[in-house]
Order: sequence, then structure tokens, then C-alpha cells
Amino acid sequence: MSERVRRVGVADLGRRGLVGAVAVGAVLALAVAGLVAPGSAAGTLSQVLFDSGTLASALRLSVPIALAALGGIFAEKSGVINIGLEGLLIISAFSAVYAMDLVDSLWVAFGAGVLASTVLAGLFAVVCIEFRADQIIAGLAVWLIALGLAPFASQVVYGAPNTVSVRTPPSAADVVGGIPVVGDLQGALAAIPVVGALFDANVVVYLTLLAVGLSWHTLYRTRFGQWVRASGENPKALDTAGVSVSRVRYAAVLLSGVLSGLGGASLSLTLGQFTGNGPTMVNGKGFIAIVAYLFGNYNPVSAFLSTLLFAGLDALQIALQLRDVGVPNQLIRITPFVMVIVVLALVGRTRLPSAAGDHYESGEE
Amino acid sequence: MEPDRRRFLKALGVTGLAGLAGCGGGPSESTPTEGEDGAGDGDSGDGDGGDGDGDGMTETDTPGGTETTDAMTPGDVTHVGMVYATGGLGDGSFNDQAQQGLLQAADEFNVEYREAQPDESAQFSNFQQQFAESSDPDYDLVCCIGFLQTEALQTTSENYPDQNFMLVDSVVQADNVASYTFKEHEGSFLVGQLAGLLTARDFAAGAGETAGDSTNVGFVGGVESDLIGKFEAGFTAGAKEADEDVDVITNYVGDFNDPSGGREAALAMYDSGADVVYHAAGNTGTGVFRAAQDRGRFAIGVDRDQSVTKSSFGDVILASMVKRVDTSIFNSVESVVNDDFQGGSIVSLGLEGDGVDITYGQQLGSEIPQGAKDQVGESRTAIVDGDISVPSDPDNV
Repeated sequence: MSERVRRVGVADLGRRGLVGAVAVGAVLALAVAGLVAPGSAAGTLSQVLFDSGTLASALRLSVPIALAALGGIFAEKSGVINIGLEGLLIISAFSAVYAMDLVDSLWVAFGAGVLASTVLAGLFAVVCIEFRADQIIAGLAVWLIALGLAPFASQVVYGAPNTVSVRTPPSAADVVGGIPVVGDLQGALAAIPVVGALFDANVVVYLTLLAVGLSWHTLYRTRFGQWVRASGENPKALDTAGVSVSRVRYAAVLLSGVLSGLGGASLSLTLGQFTGNGPTMVNGKGFIAIVAYLFGNYNPVSAFLSTLLFAGLDALQIALQLRDVGVPNQLIRITPFVMVIVVLALVGRTRLPSAAGDHYESGEE
Repeated sequence: MEPDRRRFLKALGVTGLAGLAGCGGGPSESTPTEGEDGAGDGDSGDGDGGDGDGDGMTETDTPGGTETTDAMTPGDVTHVGMVYATGGLGDGSFNDQAQQGLLQAADEFNVEYREAQPDESAQFSNFQQQFAESSDPDYDLVCCIGFLQTEALQTTSENYPDQNFMLVDSVVQADNVASYTFKEHEGSFLVGQLAGLLTARDFAAGAGETAGDSTNVGFVGGVESDLIGKFEAGFTAGAKEADEDVDVITNYVGDFNDPSGGREAALAMYDSGADVVYHAAGNTGTGVFRAAQDRGRFAIGVDRDQSVTKSSFGDVILASMVKRVDTSIFNSVESVVNDDFQGGSIVSLGLEGDGVDITYGQQLGSEIPQGAKDQVGESRTAIVDGDISVPSDPDNV
């Protein structure tokens, strides 16, 4: 058994390396093609790929997905599969816009989004941990509750499932543009060709990057992170060590509410409106987040990178539709999905935390 | 480990199915209002329907109905049944526009009506039958709004050959059904021409301005379909009419409900030099307007005057391509009142007959150069007179 596992592991590593090498090679080839033959299809592709607008777009698209994915990591690492991320995004997206409309303060708006999402996550936690409900079913309930509640609340408040428009969060240039030296520096950095977009993004992009770093640190470099991981891998050991498994799980699920709340608030506030008909403006981003963190193997940094890959392919697809590359737009539009399937098939399996999805019964009643 | 994974996969499968059901259910429900006409400001949704009436129907007596002031006898009252699209009333676009036509008819003629707001597509045939079967009152006309009702009406109209129906946005070939469609391409031609004329010159108004050195305009569509293709074809043809050198870039977001996708698509267009972007993408269009404000360029709305329904974007909305669903309702009710119902007819409302038109933005309209408006007006006349024929398929532009 262990022999087999090891061999699979090595094969995986080989495959991952191969995929990585092919990817780097392809990008380099594209760059060369772009320089040598700017008029060709490959040239167009490389122009689009290295356009800072594409990176900017990918970063913007990543924000809600990445934040929800981080939340999902904490919950699932602690042993509670939180499939309701979508619902948490929806409820926070509405709450943030509503608060913004009421008091016109970004801090309050983000706070309201986080609060709403955390309360719903808390409800989910109580149902799962206290009352031992099936996590998947409870997670679905979270999604369905939010899917019904947010448009309904909007209907009550605004008379339509869509809210009014509110002020949007500032970009880097808005924040530091007025400061003498820093503003100039920011302007200069933003003008760098390919990566300039990193220095001229909306504040929510930096918030996301910060959250990724902090999450990684918390999960792998703090005692709380150890508890979270132990709670998902071997809750009995954690219990034996004198740490309450339920408390750790409560904390982790609430944390997933906080992070998803930031994601939902970022999504709706950057657009300045919550639109609530059909699947709402969240439109499956919470489910993509689940795929992203599974793909990233529960590592916050890898999860962010896989989010960036999805979002990047989407941004690429949008930009390519506008150029004449000799391929029908319908085909271009499905490239992100095809690529994701290819990558997922090649990169290999994700290892779930051993106790994920199981209720833990402490010995003492 | 193994059983865990199996359980997880099973659960994931269940979730996936539920998710699919949710996704499948959601958009298709909103399709009749937004999807299939691709437009509107997308205020439809599930929560806004019910008036609390058990069967979802509401009886409304018109002033003229109960207190008949005209010389008509009660026997002359025309009874109209309305089956709305699933978005329900209060959607700020499709259904509300349809109701407006009904109210106008009720104002002018001796009409009593009953309204049904289905929550989902499965209820269409139920409501159609209820109206068709009713003998007290005996409905003279049953109006079916939205193209998702087509299939249900196909069956219902066969089963009730003596009942008159009218259908908006689609066609049912039956002797007792009058079908009304719209020539969205004609209205789109006019806004396309406006966009083409403005991108070729330096123009600044409200929060937007055109980039002087580029002659680009963009079109953002919801989901590829024949219907949205009509918008695209008309827009492209109009832009080319203004100036053969104008480039039209198009993007289909693949969703009527994805404002962030619409925003990215429009931002990419503005960044590549587009001055004006037209959308036929429902809620996705909100993202287009947001992008216009982000970049200080212009956008064109669809279905209703979006500088009114989306007033916070009034400083970037040059004009809107309006689609007069109310006209079709009014006309068909009028035909029934006059005993002149044209069963089996297929009416396609274009610029002629006020089915579609261009409406300039409330805020920016007055700043658009009169020369451009005049040229658009000339094209309008030419299309009505048949001197310009507007393609309805983007491949034929």
C-alpha cells in the first residue's frame, strides 16, 4: 500500500514537473513568436498574454474566488467541508452594498459583508458541529438560503432584485496618487510593461494578496494552524492533547465566513451594485473556489495561483475574442474550460484531510 | 481514506447535480425577461412575483369596466388574460413594459383583465389553460409574454382552437395565435450608426469622451443566439454605415447575469481603443456601464431608456435601443376590441410601427451633435421606406 502510494507520488511529481516544463516552454515560445512574427496568430496570442491589461483583468476576476477559496481551505482543513461558500459570497455581496448605500463608508460596508457572511457561517457551524448534520447538505442549505434571502431582501429594500449603485473602492492610484514621492513611484511602477498592473490595482486586489499571505502563515506557522490541520487529519490526537476539536472547528468555519465575506463584499462593491436575479452576480464563483482550493491541494498560495490560472485564462479569452485570430469566438470562449480540464487531468490527485466530512465525537459527554 | 473519498465524491456529485439544477433553473427562469431578448436592466427575479393570491392571479377591474361611462353595454366588455414571463411584474423592463401596453388598452377601451405571474416555466401551460378554459368570464384574448412560452402555447392553442392567443417574441403557427416579434436589428442599426459617427470625431460629454485617434466601437452580447445576433448584426451594419473604416469588436460573455464578466469584456474593449460599447446582455450590461465610467468612455443601453432605469450611469449612456413590447400588446387588444383579430398572423414590429427605436440619453442626449442626430434620423426614414435593408444575421453584415 505504502509502496503504491509512494510510486503514485513520484509519478505525480514527474508529471507535475513535465506540465510545468511544458507550460514554461510554451510561454517562452509564444514570447519569441511574438517578437519574431507579431502578425501571426501566435504573435497575437503573445501580445494578449503579455498585455498588462490581461493581468489586471485576471487579478480583478481572482479576488472573490481566491478569498472564498482561502475560507474553504480553513474550514475543510479543520474537517468541516464548507460547500456553502457560494451562499456566503451572495449574502455578503448584498449586505455590503446595502451598508454602503446606508452609510457610504467602505469600512462599514466591508464590515457588514463580513458580519453577514460570518453569521451565516456560524449558523452552518452550529448545525454541523453541534447538531451533527451532514456537512454537504447543510452547506447546500447555506447556499440556497442566501440565494433566496439576498434577492428577497433587495426586493424589500429596493423594490427589485437589483440594488442601486454605490461608490466603489479606490485603486492604488487614487490612494497614493496625491502623495509626492510615493505617488510618482506608483506611477512609474504602473508603467512597467507586463507586471505594471500589479501596481495599479484596486485596493481589494491587495487585500486578497495580503489575505493569501496571512492565511499561509496562519495555517503553517502558528499553533492555531497546527490545531486546524490536526482537527482535520486526526481529531482524536488533538482531543488527547487537550484541545477542544469543536472549538477549533468553530473557529475555522467562522474564519471561512470572514474570508468569504471579504470576497463577496469585494465583488459587489467593485461593481458598485448587487444584482440578484437568477443565480445572482456571484454566479458560481463559490463553487469555482472549491475547485481552486482542491486543485491547489489546500495550500493557500497554490490555491491563489490556481485561481489566477482560471481567471487568467478567462481574461485571455475575453481579450482574444476582440482580436481576429481566425478561430470562431465560440471556440475561444471555451478555452478556459478545456485548459482547466487538461490541467486537472495532468496534475494529479488532491489528498483530502482524513477526517474531512466526519463528525467528531469527543469521548467525554 | 478510501471510503472517505468515495463519500466525498458522492456528496460532491450530489452537490454538482443540485448546482446544475440551480444553474439550469436560475437562468432559464430569468430567460423570458432577460435572456431571450437579451436586454433590459435585468431586474427580474423569483422573489418579486406574488401578490399573495393563492393561484397567482390577480383580478383587476379597470375603471371603465365597473363604472361604464361609455355607451357600451356590459356584453361588450373585452376580457384579456395575461400570462407574464417568469420575472414577474416589477422587473423594470420586459414584463412592466408589457403591462404598460395592457394598462393603456384598458384606459382607452372597455377592457377587463386578469394577470398571472408564473414562478417557473412549468407553470406556463397551466395558466394558459386556466384562461382558455374559463367561461366566467370568457376570455377574448390570452396574451403570452416571452419566448419560453412557445412550446406550451403550441399545445394549448391546439387544444383550445376557439380561444384567441397572442404571443410576444416568438412564433406559433396556428390559426388562433397572433405572433409578434421585433426587428431588433433595425433599432440596433441606428445606435450603431450613432456610435460610428461619434467615434470618428472628438466628442466629450458627461463623464465620457472619445479617444481621438481610434475609430473603434464594441458590442457585448449575452449568450450567442439568433436573437442576440440580430442586435449584433444591426449594430455592426449601422457602424459601417457611418464610416466604412470603423472597426466593430464583439464579445459574448456567455451569460446574461454576469456583471463582472461584462465589465472585463468592456474594459478590454475600451483599453483597445473602443469609444462606445453597446450591450444586449441583460444584467451583464451593468458591468458594461461600470466599465464605461471606469474608463471615461460611452455606452449604449438596450430595451428601455437605460439612462432612466440606470440613472446612476446617465453620464455615460449616450442612447438606448428601446423595444416596445407595450405596442404589441396594445395593438392586439385593440384588434380584438374591433373584432379584427388576425389569428395566424405574424407581425414583425420594426422602426415602422414603433416596435423598436432609438432614445437618446436623458443627460447626454442634448449634447450629441445635431449633425449626427440628423444622419441617424435620415437612416431611420430610409429604413422605414425600405431604402436601407438591415441584415439580421451577423454573418451577412
